[in-house]
Amino acid sequence: MLIAILRRVGLSLIIICLVAVLVFLATEVLPGDALDVFLTSDDLMTMEAEDIEALRHEYGLDKPAVERFWQWFSGVVVGDFGVTFIDKTPVSDVIWDPLLNSLLLATVITLIAIPVALAIGILTGYYRGRKADSMVSSLAIIGYSIPDFVIGTLLIMFFAVWIPIFPALILVFADASVLELLKVSLMPAVTVIIGHVAHLSRLLRVGFIEAMNCEFVERARLSGIPEKRIVFRHALPASVIPSLNSMALFIGNLLSGLIVIEKVFGYPGLGLQLLEAVDKREVHVVQAVTFLGAVLVIGMNLLADLAIIILDPRVRSHKHE
Amino acid sequence: MSNKSVLDVLTHSPGTSIGVFLVAIHLLSALFGFLFVPYGPTELAGVSLLAPGSPGFSLGTDVIGRDYLTRLVLGGRTSIFVAMLGVMIAVVSGGLIGVSAAYIGGFYDDVIMRLVDIKLSIPGILFVALCVVGFGRSIPVLTIVIAINYMPGALRIIRSQAMTQVPLDYVKSARLRGDSKLSVIVRELCPNVLEVVVVEFAIRTSSAILAVSALSFLGLGISPPTPDWGLMVYEGIQQIYFAPWLVLFPAFLISTLVIGLNFATDGLANALGLDAARGLD
Amino acid sequence: MYSEKKNFEKNQINQPASGITRRNFAIGAGAGFVSLSLSNLLFSSLSMAAQPKKGGKLVYAGSYLNSKHKSLKNAKHPYYGIEIRTRNTYNALTWVDEELNVVPEIATDWESNQGQDVWEVTIREDVKFHDGRPLTVEDVIASYNLHKDKKLGTSFVKKLVDKIEKVSTNKVRFFLKSPSSEFAWNLAEYRQAIMPAAPLDEMGFLGIGSGPYKFAKIDVGRRVIYEANEDYWGKGPYLDTLECVNLPGTNPLNGYLSGQFDVLAAVDPSLINQLSATPNTKIDIAKAGDQIMMVLPKYEGSPFMDKRVRQALTLALDREAIIRIVFGGKTGWASNDTHMAPFNEDFLAKEPRNIPKAKQLLAEAGFENGITLPTFYYAPYVPEITRVLSVAAESVKEAGITMKIEERPMAGYRKWRVENKEKTTKHRFAMGPVGPRNPAMNLFRMARPTYNESGYWHPSAEGDRYIELYEKAMRTGDPIARRNIYHDMQRILQNDVPAIFLTGRRETIAFRSNVHGLKAHSQHWSLRFNEVWKS
Repeated sequence: MLIAILRRVGLSLIIICLVAVLVFLATEVLPGDALDVFLTSDDLMTMEAEDIEALRHEYGLDKPAVERFWQWFSGVVVGDFGVTFIDKTPVSDVIWDPLLNSLLLATVITLIAIPVALAIGILTGYYRGRKADSMVSSLAIIGYSIPDFVIGTLLIMFFAVWIPIFPALILVFADASVLELLKVSLMPAVTVIIGHVAHLSRLLRVGFIEAMNCEFVERARLSGIPEKRIVFRHALPASVIPSLNSMALFIGNLLSGLIVIEKVFGYPGLGLQLLEAVDKREVHVVQAVTFLGAVLVIGMNLLADLAIIILDPRVRSHKHE
Repeated sequence: MSNKSVLDVLTHSPGTSIGVFLVAIHLLSALFGFLFVPYGPTELAGVSLLAPGSPGFSLGTDVIGRDYLTRLVLGGRTSIFVAMLGVMIAVVSGGLIGVSAAYIGGFYDDVIMRLVDIKLSIPGILFVALCVVGFGRSIPVLTIVIAINYMPGALRIIRSQAMTQVPLDYVKSARLRGDSKLSVIVRELCPNVLEVVVVEFAIRTSSAILAVSALSFLGLGISPPTPDWGLMVYEGIQQIYFAPWLVLFPAFLISTLVIGLNFATDGLANALGLDAARGLD
Repeated sequence: MYSEKKNFEKNQINQPASGITRRNFAIGAGAGFVSLSLSNLLFSSLSMAAQPKKGGKLVYAGSYLNSKHKSLKNAKHPYYGIEIRTRNTYNALTWVDEELNVVPEIATDWESNQGQDVWEVTIREDVKFHDGRPLTVEDVIASYNLHKDKKLGTSFVKKLVDKIEKVSTNKVRFFLKSPSSEFAWNLAEYRQAIMPAAPLDEMGFLGIGSGPYKFAKIDVGRRVIYEANEDYWGKGPYLDTLECVNLPGTNPLNGYLSGQFDVLAAVDPSLINQLSATPNTKIDIAKAGDQIMMVLPKYEGSPFMDKRVRQALTLALDREAIIRIVFGGKTGWASNDTHMAPFNEDFLAKEPRNIPKAKQLLAEAGFENGITLPTFYYAPYVPEITRVLSVAAESVKEAGITMKIEERPMAGYRKWRVENKEKTTKHRFAMGPVGPRNPAMNLFRMARPTYNESGYWHPSAEGDRYIELYEKAMRTGDPIARRNIYHDMQRILQNDVPAIFLTGRRETIAFRSNVHGLKAHSQHWSLRFNEVWKS
């Protein structure tokens, strides 16, 4: 087992390196560089082609791609993401606060979404085919089918403008304290949850139905174990397993997947930072954000794999026997 | 599939019927709606911001006086086309690669699956932003963006379905007959993963339609002045307190289409006995 | 309230040309300043009810972000700050007021030599920086040494200023690289802040200026909080705290209606009617604002190489329809195919829409059955741009012109209009917004010394003639004589149509009725908050 885990970790590291190469290549294909975006039309109006080339040289944008990549990559290995091209700010300074904020929002969402999805999944799975199932399932699908930005806009309209309970736009500083951010992150979190709980709960429902049909549940039933205990102690853990990887992917993608919500509410997160970095051709920032996103996804997957081993129903059922 | 079974699938449950009905209406209106609209999609037909029910403009006008009914009817065409074509490319190419990976196995399979892992671990929005910033908001670019985005996931699921087929007798006998790899993949395996491919197509199309509208909202999707629901929501959001229908109508249409697709897909998957397909990979 | 000054200038301009020297004009500006303060005194003593109240906090949103803004490190620098409205924290030598006159700020007086290439500027001696140090000529000289620095500086000054030297304790002398008869307007530009003298590569980063507010807290790219500078030399500030919010992509209207913002500093024209009907809301509309320009890319194979196609396109555009539909008839103005705005007294109206003539020109150019133009790419610089171009594209259909438009993301867009890796003048499309200024700065934009980047001109005799006229105007101290040259320059542009100008917006601000002393400004970057107060 140790070898399997080591193999997985090694593989994850290789994937991370390949992600770095791929992202670098992708940003190389783009026309233009940071300088093209930085110079305004007023600047261009008074500059000659030679002036622009001189500036490009000064910012190090004229170095060969391989050299730039190596310079960046050798830094990342020791945890140094480099500096931005134009004003030489450390990339870690640029992304640190948005990263923490996104992680916070992702945590809030996960902490609400997973239990809600579990509840819905179990409810609909247990009463499958009955009215409660079709009603809740339909509602979940409807929630999933309305675009995030519509839900967000309507929530703002109702709960910030008409009934002013929550702030319409999030006016906290990017380096605000956790408490401050928690206070304002409820509406964005609810928006995401309405949009995504359906998917998670359906995964759980499928897993739950499968688990309830399993031999060990049948046997538990026959041996007179109370229904509640069967559901929560036996079927539930088993039902979570098939969806663990998807859950991991969901959480991993939250980091960059929240971009629409960040835009609607003005949440100071990583998604908008990524989009801005692409716009401004700050390749180092793009790489760092992507890199962190990839590390998170891969890390969550690794966790899911480990959890699967721990939660394996066959192991559990053997224990109960 | 016989005619009877198709009908069975389409009316599997009340939900499925509703879904199929919604999708059918949307597809019909996307295909033939242009024959019935009263104005051109970009024609400045009336006064700005007429309310629904105004004479000549049953659903009012938008902020520069274009007929909203016309734009709503035509507003699904582009995103449905982009989503469907993009996802079609994704599942067909993903399917072929996935099936071949399952059959050939070994190093080839490893490489393909690592590439899938890489793609799945890169934030989706990054590819979109890079492509659109670099190559513009044209329909071919968006279609390719959608295809790239949805291929790895489809590939993974179709591959795992194909894996269950590879050890079966009919594949073995084909190999023993001396059929080429290509022939086994195309003639034997592909038909047997078709159902999964169809379900994947349906699931991913509904998600792609939402994705295209979200891209339009972010300014990375379909470009004005093409009528498009996502874009219309975006353009209407400024007016939501004064002319809420500008947001609510297109939002309603996106939602009904996606709801329809989801219900129909659900029924389809159920009828094909693929309920678990979603959760397996 | 600046009417006295304006009349003064007008009278002066209407005098026989021979009677005017540059010196008179400069004194005129100074006199304007005196009358200005006098009228303010009169105003405040007459209406006690409108006595500014001190204190409070004001939040404004919907600003114009500075595309050069990057990080916390440079967020206070006048070049790289969050917004291009630098006047909250900094002063420049001059300011352009709401009526588009150049008025004193740090400078009290300015005059030039006969050749218009040496300018003497007198400065106030009662100004203190935020750190308590008095502002001296040394600081002005150091600031301009930064502004003109080849590497660190800012474009207009780099191009124009050769040297600056001290004349006396309150006077400096600018030596220009080439004559510039309207140099006083250049001195008002938003990047040309006066900062405490320091080594050039350190200047500006501390955010110490002499403006009415001081930097208090900054959230990079999103928000700035300013606090009152109690030692401000001018009027105000009355607010304790001023806050600028700019959350990219959000709808600031949400914030306004929910009470988070007091002021919407850049209002989408489609909202003006609805906002004026909103309770407790006041709207102020400036005389002008940015206009939307279409660059017509000229390269081998481009239909825009043919002058008749360019002329036909501008004749076919229905500017009245754009103003009516997009700007509700109130907040837009028809451009005249130059960078000039109608408030410029030298503005020359252009030939009205003429479909038959457009068709005839197209037929002459060989497009009797209509023409499909290359796609125009644009970026959402202003909220109404899609609407303006949509109406424009519809209106030219009447003349048989098909004009496709496509939106591009904001920053990534630049590469689509600047394509000169191989030093060619090939452009793939497009449009940009341009701010209204004085004639010299407006018309300079088309007087490019080289035919590159912007794509305005393809090498042509008209282009050379235009540049010649521009240089002549810059040597001409007499405003009347200059006006004739400016008219000639506009006629060249209107005839040759190197670029097309659709319409301009009138900058509009909306604010709660308890906000006073705030006026919309045609140059959105010149908006000042020092006299704003809340009741």
